[in-house]
Amino acid sequence: MFLPESMSRIVIVGANSCIDKTIEVLYGLENVHLIDHTVDADEGFTLGTPRPYSPKTAERLLKVRGLEKDLGINKHTKTQPISESELRSQISSDSVESIESEVKVVIDKRNDLNQRITELNAKKKNLELLERLPIDIDMYSGYQSIVALVGTVERDPTAAAADMGELYTSMDKKEGNVVAWFVKNDDRTAAQNILSEHGFTEINVPEGTGSVQANLAIVRGELDSMERELEAVQKETEELFEKHKHFLRASDEELAVESEKGMLPVRIATTKYTFVMDAWVPTPEAGNVKATVEKEVDAVYVSIEENRGRKVEESEKQEGRFQTVPTKMKHGKVTKLFEYPTLMMSVPKYNEVDPTVLISIFLPLFFGFMVGDCGYAIPFIILGAYGLKYAKNPDWRAIATVLFFGGIWAFIFGFFFFGEALGMHFVGPEEFVEGTVTYTWAGLLGLDNLHNFFGAFLINGHGVGKIDSEYVGMLLRLSVYVGVVHLAIGYLVAIYNKTVQHGFKHGFKEKGGPFLIFVGVVLVGYALGFNMIMKTLSGEEMLPIMVVGILLIAIGAFLVLKTEGAMNILIETVDAFGNILSYTRLVAIGMSKAGMALAFNYIALGMIAGVDPNPAVGGDLSIIMVILGLLIFCFLHLMIWTLAILSGGLHALRLQLVEFMIKFYEGEGTMFSPLKFKHVKTISDIATKEA
Amino acid sequence: MVDTALGFIAIGAGLAVGLAGLGTGLAQKDIGAAAVGAITEDSKMLGKALMFMVLPETIVIFGLVIAILACFVLPGM
Repeated sequence: MFLPESMSRIVIVGANSCIDKTIEVLYGLENVHLIDHTVDADEGFTLGTPRPYSPKTAERLLKVRGLEKDLGINKHTKTQPISESELRSQISSDSVESIESEVKVVIDKRNDLNQRITELNAKKKNLELLERLPIDIDMYSGYQSIVALVGTVERDPTAAAADMGELYTSMDKKEGNVVAWFVKNDDRTAAQNILSEHGFTEINVPEGTGSVQANLAIVRGELDSMERELEAVQKETEELFEKHKHFLRASDEELAVESEKGMLPVRIATTKYTFVMDAWVPTPEAGNVKATVEKEVDAVYVSIEENRGRKVEESEKQEGRFQTVPTKMKHGKVTKLFEYPTLMMSVPKYNEVDPTVLISIFLPLFFGFMVGDCGYAIPFIILGAYGLKYAKNPDWRAIATVLFFGGIWAFIFGFFFFGEALGMHFVGPEEFVEGTVTYTWAGLLGLDNLHNFFGAFLINGHGVGKIDSEYVGMLLRLSVYVGVVHLAIGYLVAIYNKTVQHGFKHGFKEKGGPFLIFVGVVLVGYALGFNMIMKTLSGEEMLPIMVVGILLIAIGAFLVLKTEGAMNILIETVDAFGNILSYTRLVAIGMSKAGMALAFNYIALGMIAGVDPNPAVGGDLSIIMVILGLLIFCFLHLMIWTLAILSGGLHALRLQLVEFMIKFYEGEGTMFSPLKFKHVKTISDIATKEA
Repeated sequence: MVDTALGFIAIGAGLAVGLAGLGTGLAQKDIGAAAVGAITEDSKMLGKALMFMVLPETIVIFGLVIAILACFVLPGM
């Protein structure tokens, strides 16, 4: 549960004639992590070449993907699955090629039309500008001694133009300013300079004869007919889409699978007649893999080479490419959901504790403690359950996981420990304390029998107040204790990891020092805290604890000095102290939310709705103000609730990733990625096989 | 006289949280800028960037602890 799945290394040897069948079987097993063959690793072996069918498959896959793109087919397109045998016969009878030629005609037509429409639109735009000038189209060109400068300007150049040549302008802020300036060839540069100062952009005058209006009418007519044509082509494309989508989606999957299988030989060693594959399989599956492969394929032999242990020395003895063992995380249904935060850091190594199980315990617990309120917990649970049921994206699933399990803890803490919902206790003290602004559900709703129910199990009959001076000290101490336990687990896991890798003696020497310093700091902190702040520990009682603590720090410092150097003693000591205090955020965040809730409740209920915190004081309530107060109440609590996700979630996660995991986690492992395909259910008989 | 002492405690508590908050802000400013840059390059960095982003919040938590101690424990001493 804590260490990843143990792995065995196997070698598969066979005749080249049955390589296709072997690949087929290995993909079917979904449990074989191939080790890439490196050139010159073994004498006499070379890297394999792709299977003979591979280039053709790859080419077809490329065509299919291109067709899918042209027709707008994507992974969200709903299609009916096709049976594999039918699909194969269609592919081998050149269906892909015939569809390609069929689609190509239509797509070419569509592209052609689109291009011409773009050109015509540009022409139309120019003509629309020129329409405002009283000049026929053929008057713009065909001169020897004068030249026409036609374009748009930002400002009117009339004043600057003086009487150089002939200037026509049409100024319109909305449609754009257009000018046509006929100047002598000699004045061209001067005119251009003047125009460019006025923000000139030249436009192309279309060729033609007659008035601009007549030309414009022709262009508009052409555009209309082309758009009609395009519509017809679009319809044709849609028909093609409907006709071929099932086949294209299915053959995309089939060909992708085939082409990956066809490329597999380039990762393994081959000779003229045989092939050799090295692979990792999970140890419990090794026997099964051997039996299945040997049974299904005739001329293949599988040998289980070794069951790899966790010791570093054992791995180092091996050849380079066999040293890294892939990590297959071993989890149940629930803990699997918490793999996300672990992987956010890194993949665990083969020979270290996978922290996922520990995270799955502490992450929701911390989140729940920080929220600690039934009113926020219930929406968290509902939202989380909904997310876990429907969300597909791993990010959303991870958030939903924390919300669901954290929500359950939040409810437990809110109900049994804090006794509150939406920042209000279910029941308050027996007698109302004058001057306070706290509401209780019992007081608000006038339910006196709540007292009997909650009084039976809540601390002091009404639960722990997050911002009552009575409880703050207790909560702070509680959070520090939680921190000490959590960190101690971290330090112990570090020692365990090193023990697994090198043996206990080495493990304790390397990681025992920080742990002893930590215990020492805890003892010294306990003694000082209870003597100076709490004043429950007398000087004489304190002394032995102090001495033991300092002694432990000294031993730890000595161990650290030998392994990591003097500087680390200081770092470890300060770290231990800082990390423990860091856990007070468990209370601090709860307090900040409780503080906001208290203020918001008073604003919404007391100041707007006009309800007196003292349930004994009646009063006339205006219905409108009560409704307004409740609306504001909902809005403000929604705000706290959203903040709770952010602060509660992030800080709970941070305590795992920073304070806790830094103690022991190394990561940078290789993920176990067996040969397999993720089927998208476009091929019917594979889909049924999966189900 | 008691009121003056309480007032000083309150000022001290405020300073503890406020100054610690400033420190956190200074640290987060740089991390935030770098984090946004990293996320722009590769949106997969979001998780890690967020983690780095909340790292300095420990500082303000320390300030808050001191403030809480000042508010709730000191007056009783």
